[in-house]
Amino acid sequence: MKETPLSACERTFLLKAVEEKKRLDGRQTYDYRNIRITFGTDYGCCTVSLGKTRVLAQVSCELVPPKDSRPTEGIVFFNLELSPMASPAFQPNRQSELLVTLNRQLERCLRNSKCIDTESLCVVSGEKVWQIRVDVHVLNHDGNLMDAASIAAISALSHFRRPDVAIQGRDITIFSPEERDPVALSIYHMPICVSFAFFQQGTYLLVDPCEKEEQVTDGLLVIAMNKHREICSIQSSGGIMLLKDQVLRCSKIASVKVSEITDLINKALENDKRVRKEGGRFGFAESMPKERITALKRDEAPVEMTGVQEMAEEFLSKGEAAPEVVSSPVIVATGTGQLGEGVQSTWGLEEEDEEDECQGEMDKEEKKKKKAEKDEVMVISDSEEEEVVVLNPEAPKSKGKRPKH
Amino acid sequence: MAGLELLSDQGYRLDGRRAAELRKLQARMGVFAQADGSAYLEQGNTKALAVVYGPHEVRGSRSRTLHDRAVINCQYSMATFSTAERKRRPHGDRKSSEMSLHLKQTFEAAVLTQLYPRSQIDIYVKILQSDGGNYSACVNAATLALVDAGIPMRDYVCACTAGFVEDTPLADLCHAEESGGGTTLALALLPRSESIALVQMDARLHQDHLDPLMEAAMTACKGLSKVLDSVVRQHLQEVSVQTRE
Amino acid sequence: MEAVYSCFREKLGQVILPGDVFCFDVSAVEGSAVRAERVICGPGLRRNGDEILVYKSGILRHKAPNLYWIDSQQKRYVPVKGESVIGIVTAKSGDIFKVDVGGSEQASLSYLAFEGATKRNRPNVQVGDLVYAQFTIANKDMEPELVCIDSCGRANGMGVFGADGLLFKVSLGLVRRLLAPQSEIVKDLEKIFPFEMVVGLNGRVWVKAKTVQQTLIVANLLESCENMTTQQRQVLFRRVAEGSL
Repeated sequence: MKETPLSACERTFLLKAVEEKKRLDGRQTYDYRNIRITFGTDYGCCTVSLGKTRVLAQVSCELVPPKDSRPTEGIVFFNLELSPMASPAFQPNRQSELLVTLNRQLERCLRNSKCIDTESLCVVSGEKVWQIRVDVHVLNHDGNLMDAASIAAISALSHFRRPDVAIQGRDITIFSPEERDPVALSIYHMPICVSFAFFQQGTYLLVDPCEKEEQVTDGLLVIAMNKHREICSIQSSGGIMLLKDQVLRCSKIASVKVSEITDLINKALENDKRVRKEGGRFGFAESMPKERITALKRDEAPVEMTGVQEMAEEFLSKGEAAPEVVSSPVIVATGTGQLGEGVQSTWGLEEEDEEDECQGEMDKEEKKKKKAEKDEVMVISDSEEEEVVVLNPEAPKSKGKRPKH
Repeated sequence: MAGLELLSDQGYRLDGRRAAELRKLQARMGVFAQADGSAYLEQGNTKALAVVYGPHEVRGSRSRTLHDRAVINCQYSMATFSTAERKRRPHGDRKSSEMSLHLKQTFEAAVLTQLYPRSQIDIYVKILQSDGGNYSACVNAATLALVDAGIPMRDYVCACTAGFVEDTPLADLCHAEESGGGTTLALALLPRSESIALVQMDARLHQDHLDPLMEAAMTACKGLSKVLDSVVRQHLQEVSVQTRE
Repeated sequence: MEAVYSCFREKLGQVILPGDVFCFDVSAVEGSAVRAERVICGPGLRRNGDEILVYKSGILRHKAPNLYWIDSQQKRYVPVKGESVIGIVTAKSGDIFKVDVGGSEQASLSYLAFEGATKRNRPNVQVGDLVYAQFTIANKDMEPELVCIDSCGRANGMGVFGADGLLFKVSLGLVRRLLAPQSEIVKDLEKIFPFEMVVGLNGRVWVKAKTVQQTLIVANLLESCENMTTQQRQVLFRRVAEGSL
């Protein structure tokens, strides 16, 4: 499927908004969107919503023989999939650049930083170890997939419980969850990725870009940190030139954001543990809000209103006197009318057309309806070989079976 | 890996270098007659070969043509005999794709693509022997190949790796130091403007150590750029001697 | 008149589904002679002999004196002849422009379909521009075609626009509400501050106000009007108006 192209007008507007430090949904430049972390009924299943971006992570485990080069360590395997349901730009079974980038970044952030104790995953050295597999699926793409995927992966890993094993000599007994409580993985620290989007050759930067902002960005810098202020990975992408101080500044911002997000994850884990212990209901079904059409619902976006009054007053004092308001439409030409603040537009030649359009559109609708009333039966058929619909209301007799030329 | 000291008490590393010393760099340009530009580079024991074709017409999918710039197409591959164990899949695996992507982004930032709209520049890099610093060797070799092909760039693109051991930053890591478990930072720099085209780091590092580490990498890159510059000048000297009447 | 109204009146304001039929049994009318009634079917209703069929799901609405239509909630647009839409120019090939209107395929717009355009005098349209145009051909068998002039040859408000301002997407139901002649939403919005707006029937809306901040406010307000009742909307608008002026 093809996605909607970005028009030149949107691009200029977004860049202008970035220069004025305004974002489309009213956030500040260093703010994240609302993060919601929910866990499923099984251990190791986690959904993260970052604004409208939704990502699902699932952890599973299996006993396998270890790698030859590392006989005493378990294996951790990451896999991220871009499902076509997430965005019209994703096509199935295609190895796109974005997929490779996200997968490698996730691996580097979580595996190379050694956040999981792989030695504890060893059951019988050289023969059987646990292989932990983390599958991340992107459900809805509204920008910043990297951060959402890393939060989902690390939350799922913290939530996961593997079955308990007992070793007697060479026999391995795996206990099911009913026989013995499953054991949590030992996680040293929680690395979280923070994405910075750069605009205008690195002059402006934004945290957590949404999809529209991502389309006009020059480049991206992803820094993965944990709350102990250790940097786990840095990766710059896109053809941007950075300066050393920019990278250092970004790392400072990232440390603040990461500690907030880590608190959020811990709180969500606590909540889930508490609910399970108390025997309350838990899982995805509980976390979905009921009775509403969720597709078209939007949370109220706080839009900054300060300073608008002063600006408005400034404009009023500087501008000319407001032109008179005409309440009944002034017919300029057939099919066009003008209404409202003055008959002549003061904004320049091009804008004249737009004002006319808005009013003209309304007049046209009225006229169309009037025209339809004149005839007995007005059949709007799909075939284009029948009559021509003429928009000129001054010639009512023009409705005839005139063949198209 | 017990027993391997990355930095001894006297300040010597595994191969006898000092902390901020670079490996020996040797390079030749114009190694292939058929390609528009080519270069061969040795950085210590890492050997890289880079070949440039272009700018030429966009082949393959027409839809990739950009109406105002050239498309840069990079492919990175490692020879099967380049590592200690035979590499079973030289192309197509995730690490190679990621490396190709990084090379492409690095050079998109450096090459003046606005001068060649609706065309394509191909850069093919092959690692013949891998001993740490694969990405940096590729970038340096590709820079020389682009200079050989006569494609205009903003500046030399120099890349180098740096590591951190016991509060001392090390420059230009070899394979044993990279896989020792310490931090590895790879940096591609345009030396004159000090702008970073690509930065990549793995493994844990405390935030306060980031500054000295980047500083060490940037100094190493600047040193490298001087060597590359001398190689280019020498090559041009030789070539012009042959064409002079 | 009563016969028709009574059929419709029971279902007015209720949810009806495709396949529901309104049939007017003339013989059931007693008393005075049957007068010729005129019923205008808006979107969602279609006439089939003596019956009116419903083909979209939604709520039945009525406007005096005799206009009925279905208020449906749909996001995907299907091109219909005669509708005015906002399109994005994606390609220029030969004599026509390819325009993306959000439908199943791209529409074509001939360069001669602009006011004052001749073979020598081509209109100034670039890739990425926004155009407000009308469909002349839009059926399931052919590629849709747009024009920017009416039958007299005048632009009538159509053409390229939008050097500044913000384009965003809403559902088709909201677009129809905005384009209604006495739209309350537009009236309420006008009271807050002045702005320009172009509404395309394919769900795309373009707004521009005096500053970036005001443009963002208007855009967010319009997007949030989707699912609010009149009261909630007026409360919200009043809050915004107090905050700004």
